[in-house]
Amino acid sequence: MNATRVIIRKFGGQAKAIFWSRSVQRIKVFVLGRSVSDGLLAKLILYLLLSIVAYLYVQPILYMISTALKPLSDLLDPTVKWIPRVVTWENFQTAVKGIKYPEALQNTAIIAISCSVVQVLICAMTGYALAKLAVPFKGLITALVILTFLIPPQIIIIPLYVIYSKLSLLNTLFVFLIPAIFGQGLKSALFILIFRQFFKSQPLSLEEAAKLDGASTARLFFGIMLPLARSACLVVFLFSFIWYWNMYYEPSWFLTDNFTPLSIRLDRLEDVLNPSLLGQRNTIDNPATESSKMAAAFLIILPPILVFMFLQRWFVTGIERTGIVE
Amino acid sequence: MKPSNEISRQRRLFHSKRYGIGLLFMLPWLIGFCVFVAVPIGWSIFMSLHKVSVVPGGFKYERFGLKNFKDAFVVDNVFPIELITYFQQMLLMVPIIVIFALLISLMLNQRFPGRFIFRAIFFLPVIFATGQVLSELFAQGAGEIPFLEQYNLQPMVEKYVGLQFATTVMDVLGRVVLILWYSGVQILIFIAGFQTISPSVYEAVRIDGASPWDSFWKITLPASVPFISLNVLYTIIDLFTFPLNPVLQHIRANMFKIDTGYGYASALAWIYFGFVFALIAVVLWLFGRSMKSRGKRS
Repeated sequence: MNATRVIIRKFGGQAKAIFWSRSVQRIKVFVLGRSVSDGLLAKLILYLLLSIVAYLYVQPILYMISTALKPLSDLLDPTVKWIPRVVTWENFQTAVKGIKYPEALQNTAIIAISCSVVQVLICAMTGYALAKLAVPFKGLITALVILTFLIPPQIIIIPLYVIYSKLSLLNTLFVFLIPAIFGQGLKSALFILIFRQFFKSQPLSLEEAAKLDGASTARLFFGIMLPLARSACLVVFLFSFIWYWNMYYEPSWFLTDNFTPLSIRLDRLEDVLNPSLLGQRNTIDNPATESSKMAAAFLIILPPILVFMFLQRWFVTGIERTGIVE
Repeated sequence: MKPSNEISRQRRLFHSKRYGIGLLFMLPWLIGFCVFVAVPIGWSIFMSLHKVSVVPGGFKYERFGLKNFKDAFVVDNVFPIELITYFQQMLLMVPIIVIFALLISLMLNQRFPGRFIFRAIFFLPVIFATGQVLSELFAQGAGEIPFLEQYNLQPMVEKYVGLQFATTVMDVLGRVVLILWYSGVQILIFIAGFQTISPSVYEAVRIDGASPWDSFWKITLPASVPFISLNVLYTIIDLFTFPLNPVLQHIRANMFKIDTGYGYASALAWIYFGFVFALIAVVLWLFGRSMKSRGKRS
C-alpha cells in the first residue's frame, strides 16, 4: 500500500508529463500534419485560398445568371443585388429572338465541330511527320510551325481577306474549313506541337515491329499511332472546339453576312434590340438591354459548359497522360 | 556491271521514297503555309513599305520606302506611348500570371477531398477566357474588385513605387480578375507538368529528412523550369493577341483612317511584332541558358 503510494509519488509526474506530451504531439500531427498537405491547419488554409479564387472565377457566371433573370425594375433598383425579386424569363426570350439562337447555334456548331475534327486529323498527321518521319529541312519546318504560332492574326488579316475573297470563300463555312484542311486553322501550330511531342515520346520499337510485319506508313499511322494518341486527340479536339466556338476576331472579318456565329450576334445584339441607336457604340451600359445581353451570353456558353462537364474527367486525365508539356 | 552505281541509285530511290512519305504527310500543311501564311506575310511586308489606298476594284500602291516606319515614331504621337505603356504592363503581368498559376496548380495538385470540384472550377476560364462573352462581362463591370476604391490604394502605391510606375501598377491591380481569367491554360500546363515528376523522388527526399519546403525548392521548382518557360511564352503570346489590347486597337483604328490606311497599319503591326519577338527571344535565351547550366551540373 505504502509502496504503491511511493511509486505513484515518484513516477506519477513523469507519467503525466509523458501522457501530456503524447497527446500534444497527436494534436500537433492532427493540426499541422506530417507533410504539408496532411494537417488540418494546412487543409483549412488550402480550402480558404482555393475558395476565394474559385469565388472570383464563379462570380461573373453567377452575375450573368442573376442579371439575366432580373426584370428591368430590379436591375435599376440598387437594393437588389444578387437575387431578383421577380424571376423573369422574358430576357431569355428577347435574347433568343435577338440573336436568332437556333440558327446561330447551328452555324457555330457546324463550324466548331467540322473544323475541330479536321484539325485533329491534319495536326496529328503533321505532328507525326515532324516527330517520326524523314522530312527534308525538318528543323526549318519546325521553326516555321512555331513562327505561325507567333504571327498575330492582325498582321495578315487584310491579305487573307483578299485571298479568301478571290477564292470566293467569304461568308461560307469553307473560309474556316479550308485553312483547317491545310493545317492553318485556329492555333493549329500549337496542336501540331502537342502531337509532335506526343509522338516523340512513343517508343521506336513499336514502329519497327509494325514495319517488320509489313505495315505501310499510312497503315502504321492510322492503325496504330492515331488510336494510341486518343487522349491527345481528345485534348486537341476540346481545345479546338472551344476556341472555334468562342472566336470573334476572324469571323468579324470573314463572316459578315447571314452565316454568322454566336459571338458576332452577341456583339450585334445591342443594334438589333435598339435599331435607333445604331452605330453609337458608347451605349454599352444601356440598362434596358443589359439583362438580355447577359441572357444571350449565358446561352452562348451553355453548350461548351455542357460538353466540358460531360468530358471533364477524360479531359483532365488526358492532359495528364499525354505529357503534352515535356 | 557497276554494282556500286546500282547501289547508290537504289539508295537514292530509297531516300526519296522515305522523304516522299514524310512530305506526303506534311503536304497539307506545306500548301497551307504557302497560301495562307507566307503569301499574306509577304504581302503585308510589301504593304508596309507603301501607302495603300482603296480604289474601286482593288488597292492602289504608292511607294513609300521606310517612311511608314519612321512616321510611327516621329509623326504618330499615340503609338510609341501606347507601345511603351503596354510593354510595361506586360512585363508586370506576365510574372504575376505565371506565379499565380504556379501557386494555384501547386494547391490543386495536393490530395484533398473535393479536389474534383475545384479542378472543374479552375478549368472554367479555359472555356471562355477567349470569348466575346468575357469582354461583354467586363464591359458591364462584372468581376471588378472593389478594394481599390474602398481602401484608397492609389496614394499608397504612389508612395512606394514611385510616380512613373504607379499608373502602371494601378492598371494592373485593376485588372486582377482579368489576370486570373487569363491563367486558365497556364494552370492546366502546370498541373500536367507536375505529373511528370515521379513521386518516388519526393519519397526519397522525405526519407532523407527534407521538409516539404525544401522539397519544393529543390525538386518541384527545378523540375518545372521547362513548364515555367512554356507558360511565360504562352502568356506573352496570349497577352500579345489580347483583344482589348490598346496597341492592337490603335492599329485597327489606323487601318480605316484615310490618311494612314493599310500600309501604315501593317507597318505598326510589324513594329509591334518586332518588339514582342525580341522579348520572346530574350525569354527563350534566358531559359535555354538556365536549363543548359542545370544539365551540366547534374
